[in-house]
Formats: sequence, structure tokens, C-alpha cells
Amino acid sequence: MFRIEYQTQRLSLRFFVVMLVLFFFQTAFGLLLSAQHIDPALLAGTLNFNVIRTQHLNLAIFWILCGFIGTILFVGPLLSKRELAAPWLIKFLFYALLAIVAWNLCTQILAQKGIAGWWMGQPMLQEGLEYLEAGRVADVFILVGFAILCYVVLRTFPPVSQWNEIHWGLGLGVLALTLVWVFGMFFVERLDVQEYFRWYVVHYWVEGVWEVIHISLVGFLLVLLFKADVKSVGYAVFWGVSLVWLSGLIGNAHHYFWIGTPEFWQFWGSLFSALEPLPLIFCFWHIYLDAHQDGKPILNMPAFAFLLGSVVLEQVGAGILGFTMTFALTNVWSHGTWVTVSHAHLALFGTFGMLGLAAAYYAIPIMRGAANFDQRLGKLAFWLVFTGILGLGFAFAIGGTVQVYVYRTLGLDWFGGDVAPAMLFAKAMVPLFGIVFTAGVGLLTYDLLTLGLREEPAAPGEASYPVAAGWGRPLSGWETGIWLLAMWFFGGVITLGLLSFNLDTVRQGSALLPYVMGGVGYPGLLLATLFFVWRFLHSLEARGHAHLTPFAGVPAPAGTT
Amino acid sequence: MSCKPGELCYEGVKRRRALAVLGLMALIFVALSAVSFLDSRGQAVPSAIEYAGLDAVAGKRVFQAYNCMGCHTIVGNGAYLGPDLTNLYEHTGPAWLAAFLPSAGSWPTNGAVKLQLQDKAVATESGVETIEAYLEKYPAAAERIARRGGQSSHMPNLPFSRQEVYELIAFLKYTSAMNTEGWPPVPKVNGLTFPAATPMPVAVQEAALAPAETSIAAPVSAAAHGAELAEANGCTACHAPTTEKLVGPGWAGLYGSTVKLADGSSVVVDDAYLTEKILKPDAKLVEGYEPGVMPSFAELLDADQIADVVTYIRSLGGK
Repeated sequence: MFRIEYQTQRLSLRFFVVMLVLFFFQTAFGLLLSAQHIDPALLAGTLNFNVIRTQHLNLAIFWILCGFIGTILFVGPLLSKRELAAPWLIKFLFYALLAIVAWNLCTQILAQKGIAGWWMGQPMLQEGLEYLEAGRVADVFILVGFAILCYVVLRTFPPVSQWNEIHWGLGLGVLALTLVWVFGMFFVERLDVQEYFRWYVVHYWVEGVWEVIHISLVGFLLVLLFKADVKSVGYAVFWGVSLVWLSGLIGNAHHYFWIGTPEFWQFWGSLFSALEPLPLIFCFWHIYLDAHQDGKPILNMPAFAFLLGSVVLEQVGAGILGFTMTFALTNVWSHGTWVTVSHAHLALFGTFGMLGLAAAYYAIPIMRGAANFDQRLGKLAFWLVFTGILGLGFAFAIGGTVQVYVYRTLGLDWFGGDVAPAMLFAKAMVPLFGIVFTAGVGLLTYDLLTLGLREEPAAPGEASYPVAAGWGRPLSGWETGIWLLAMWFFGGVITLGLLSFNLDTVRQGSALLPYVMGGVGYPGLLLATLFFVWRFLHSLEARGHAHLTPFAGVPAPAGTT
Repeated sequence: MSCKPGELCYEGVKRRRALAVLGLMALIFVALSAVSFLDSRGQAVPSAIEYAGLDAVAGKRVFQAYNCMGCHTIVGNGAYLGPDLTNLYEHTGPAWLAAFLPSAGSWPTNGAVKLQLQDKAVATESGVETIEAYLEKYPAAAERIARRGGQSSHMPNLPFSRQEVYELIAFLKYTSAMNTEGWPPVPKVNGLTFPAATPMPVAVQEAALAPAETSIAAPVSAAAHGAELAEANGCTACHAPTTEKLVGPGWAGLYGSTVKLADGSSVVVDDAYLTEKILKPDAKLVEGYEPGVMPSFAELLDADQIADVVTYIRSLGGK
């Protein structure tokens, strides 16, 4: 396992390194934003909130893409059984990426002066559209970068006749990544048409493209981690991708409820985007199956922890929280509030961010030749980041519920005087969990950057494995199903809580129902998630114990221990 | 659902079926999209909406250039630091927006909005002539003036030119006119007064201040009266009583200093200069400032009142 098969795989290392650096800065910007939410006068006039938020969003996209590129470059040769095509282009792509990030950092500040760089009707420097803030100049270079990635991937892959499902998933993924980007490259006069096409990029990237790349990469990482059968994973990848597209294509309609497009979108969006969790449940189930096809211990626990985190948060953040606000009757309340922020953080970082980190934890020890690296730092970092992001999701959700009530039900629209003070408790929780999260990010950045380069302490002995009982006993399919059901139960409570804003008693000013249901649903969901992942990882770690003592795998008869 | 090696899974058939369904869905999606933007729907379009002779498309460019979506939502999309802007025009009216935007760091006072109504274009767009009628027509403006007027807002002062302000208002007029299918939902209670609400601290304060238009007893001095006038007419939204530059220059130490004009000449700040500035702000444009940002107070303040404001500025120091 700890050996590089193809030399060009090493090109992925630089992308992982940049990913970690950008991730760290993105987190720092996020922490700053949470401080500005509490004191809006902080840095106002020097670095306005919108400028920092833009970097928070854009760096998120950049580092997630870095993670994808790094992973694709690492697994590309393994999938193709040959070296990557055109390594010089990959090196060029790397420097181009650095240049674009730096360029975008500089041009976004111009928003404070209202300079967009209008030329030929297009904003050349920055365009002030959420997620697509980059100006046209950067857009064009990003498009070129995507085209290079496509070229490298497709040239490296074997002829199409020999493709399996993972090849198809990745190949279509990188092509669609490039294609969909084009829809964000025009100034549109009408707001409704602009929002219509903006979601082409944002929604189809996330739900059509990233998800496909995600499924393919998760599939292949499972193959690598568990020596799972490519054929059976491939079949799962095919159905995963199919379900993503079957639900997500029209599911995009959930963005077209209130932007000035006709009412019929509410029907199509509510119906199809309610199906969007299906592929995620499928993916969730598959990681259970693959991790339990044999009782062998996991050699690289941090990599698996982040992979599990990615699949579970995809289920919880994208699947369940997305589901709660996907119906027109709940979305009419959640839309435009912090309720959506909770979903966005868990889904975007959880699903895609954690995948990049999982791949980095898998690939970097191999590239650095550190077979017996100390996994404790990585595991601790995982728990800090995982707890941090769940806490952030909780803070945003609670703040959002209060915001819906004060802002929409009571109709108070003074953010400084009415809305923000009501949300203050939640606003204060954000930097609190943000610090936990940032600590994890700092730790994993340090760990991954110095892994294999720093002096290693002695590898922990057998004592560090938990016993295979209690939380460490083998996880059965039934139990996993119960956990999943519990998560969906709380998801149902949250959905009903949002739905209750339609009730006349609530509209007359009583916050009781939505507050109680939100207060039960969100902590319930997030704690179930936390304990489930704890349970899952604990039972896998206990295998190390079982592996060392041959009889421990067999349950001891009652009363003998 | 995994296909075990050696098992017969009929993959080819399943793939073709999945592709066919996907194609059908794409067709549905394209058809729905095509119908969505037909002219016959009667959805508002920015090129057809004008405010004071400026069209909403220009306003959309300003909206994007300042990255307004980075703090506010529009049709619910964007950031959540400030309020949603979709229906702001409809609620507060153009005069309030025209008073607020140039000095967004503080909430406009009654006088500042009244001043905007002196502008014929603004009054025409508002559909009313007097401030009383305006506040009746736009209750959200009345609420903002009564509860927030004169206090600092959470928005930074942005370097909008007069034209950009009008273009932004044109854009907000357009978004207000859009049919967003009933979003955001209209509240059924008045959040400030309904019985079950625990009033926010500010709301309590507002209740105490409800009769905002209290007449002022004879002021002690001309400078004090000038200070009151400056506050009431919104001067302090742009001019700080310190040397800090908000939108316009701070007043402390201004009197008696020499300022450089845009045409290269310079002038000493004295009574005559300040009076002219208040009446005809763009007559002597100071270097580094845009024309049209400061409104004229000719219709709002009489000669005595202007003299008091000048006295107040003089009292803030200088040579």
C-alpha cells in the first residue's frame, strides 16, 4: 500500500499542499466573518464584510477544486495503469491556479469602491454575484484551467472501450465541470434570468458535477482502502451517478421558487429535489458495506475517518438538511435566512472538503514513504473539525430559526436593532465552534504538511486499540439502519418545524411550535450524527485489537469476561 | 444493489433505460425553462423600468459592482448580514432611499427625507409632495425615521455618486415590481406591537419616543440651534463634528482652513463660503469630491437657520 506505482502521481502533492494552505485561510476568513456578524463595525471601511465573504466563498471553491485535482492526479495513473499525460501542463495548471487565486484576492477588494472593470458590457475585474464573484478575466483563465484538466484526464485514461464506471464518472465529471462553468460567464440584464443561469453553475456544479466526481472518487478510494472489488464498486458508482442526475437535473428547480420564475417550478422542485437524498443514502450504505466486507483492521485511520465524514455529512448536510427546506412550503420560510447557511456549510465542507482531506491523508503518507506515520494527530484533527462543523451547523440552524420568526413572522426588518440582537446567542456560538474547527484545521494542516518529514514518535502499541465491546463491538447492518433512521426521524421533526411556520397560531406570533421542533430536531440530528460516526470509527479501530489477539474477533460467551 | 462478479446484472439494458429517463427529464426541464421567460408572463424587465430617467439595467451594474449581494440578499439569494432588498423600494419609497444611500453609515432623519422630496424627480416618483403624505404612503419609511433616524447603521459609507444612487434606486424599483410568487411572506402581525411579543430593548425605546415631532423650546444659543438643525436635517449623516471624514469633510477645525477646489484654485472656509455650500453645493467643488452627492438645502432652510448652522460649524473650531 505504501508505495508509489507511477512517478507522475507525485504531481498531486503540490495540489494537496495548496489545498491545505487555502483551506486554512478560508477558515480564518470565516472566523473573521463570524466576528463581523457580532460587531458589524469591525474593519468596516477597511475590509468590508462582502469582500471577506467573497474570499470565504471563492477560496472554498478553489481549495475543494485543488482537492479534486490532487485526488484525480493521484488516482488517474492507477485507473489508467500508465503515467499521466502531459506533466508539464499539470505544472502549468498549478502555477496558473496560484496566479488566479492571487489575482482574485486583489480584484475583489475593488467592490468597496464600486469598480467592476466594465469593458464590452462585461465586468472584467469582479462581478458581485454570490459564488461567481470572480471577474470575467479570471473566469476565462479558470475555463482554460478546466480545459487543461479535461485534456490531462482524458489523455491519461485508456481508450473509451476499456472504461469502467469510475472512468465514466470522472470523465463525464471533468467535462461537465468545464461545460457548466460557461453559464456563469455572461452579464445578464434580467435578475430572474441571471439567477436562473447562476444556479446552473452553482447547483449543477455541486449536484451534477462535484457529486459525480465525489461518488467516483469515494468509490475508488474505497477500492484502494479496502481492496473492494472494482466491478461491484463500479456498479454502485453507476447507480449513484444515475440517481444524482435523475433527481438533480430537475431538482435544480428548488432554486426557482422565488426568483421571479413561474409558480409551476414549486411543484417540480419540491417533487424532484425531495428525491435528491436517494443517491446519498445509497452512497452511505455502500461505505458501510465496503468497510464491513471483511474484518481486517484499517491501516490508515485518518483517511478513512475523513472519507466516512464526507459520506455521512453528505447524508446529513446535503441529504437531510437539504430535504427539510426543499418543499415550497418550508422553503418559503427558510429561503434567505441562516437556516440555509447551516445546510450549505455541512453539505459543502462535509461532502467535498472532507473528501479532499481524506484523499490527502491517503496519498501524502504514500508519497512521503511514511508507512508507520503517527495517526493520532490526524484522528484528533478529524474530531475537532467534525465537531466544529456540526456545531457550526447547529448554531446557524438555531440562529436561522430565530431569524425566520423575527424577520418573517413578526416582520421586523431592522437588523441592527431587532433581528441581530434576537440572533445574538446563535451568533456568539458561531465563533465558538469556529475556534474548535480552526484548531482542527491548523492541526491537520500542520500534520499533513510535515508528515514523513518530522521526527516520528514510536508507533502506539496494542494498548491504544479500544476493546471490541460496547461502543467498539462490531457494527451490524441493522444497527446502521437504526442510526440512519434516527437521523431521518430528526430530519422529519425539523421539516415539520419549518412547516409549522405556516400555521395560523405561529403566524399570529407564537413561536412555540417551530422553536420546540427546531430545538429538538437540530440537536437530535447533529448528535445522532456525531455518535454514529464515533460508533462506526470505534468499532473499526477495535479491529486492530482483534487482529493482534486472534480470539478477540469471536464474541466471548456471557459471563466469561 | 451491488453487482457481484459473475452475476448477470443486465447492465446494458439498465444503462439505456436510465439514459432514456434522463433525456426525458432534460426535455421537461428545457420546456419548463422556455415557458418561464416568455413575454406573455408579464414579468417585469429592467430595460423597461426607469427611475428619474435612468434605467434599471444601469442600476444592476452598480448593484453588482459594489457586490451588494455580499451582505444583502436579493430575491432571497446572497448574504445574511443585512436585510433582503427585493421589496425595499416598495416599502420605503425613493425619497428615503435617496436620503439613505449617499450616507449609508447612518439612518436618515425626517429632515433628510424631506430634503429629497424637494427634488421634483424624486417627488414625482414618490407620487407625493409633502413629507407627511410620504410617511403615510410609505409606513416603512416612517418606521425607519421614527425608530432609527439619526442613529448609526451597520452599513459602511460607500462612495456612491449621485447618478449611482439614482441607478440603484431604479434597480430596486425593478426588483420591487417583480412577481416573486408571494415571497417573502407578508407578516400577519405587527412585530412591534402584537401582545405576545417580548419587546426588543429598542422597541421599548421607540414606544417612548413615539411622538417624534416634538417642537423645540427656545434654543439657548445660535450654535446650539444650529447643531439641532444639522441633526434634524441629516447633515450629520455625512459630516462628523470631529475631523473624521464620513462622506463629506468633518466639521472640527474646518472653519478658517483653506480648501483646494477641483479647478485648482483654493478658498478659505468662512461664513460666505459655508452659506454658499449649503445653498449651491456644486458651485465651488472641492478637490476629491464628486458633484451631486451633497443636496442643496435652499428649499429647506431659511437664511436665519443657515446662519445658525454656520455658527455651529464655526463653534467647532478652526482658525
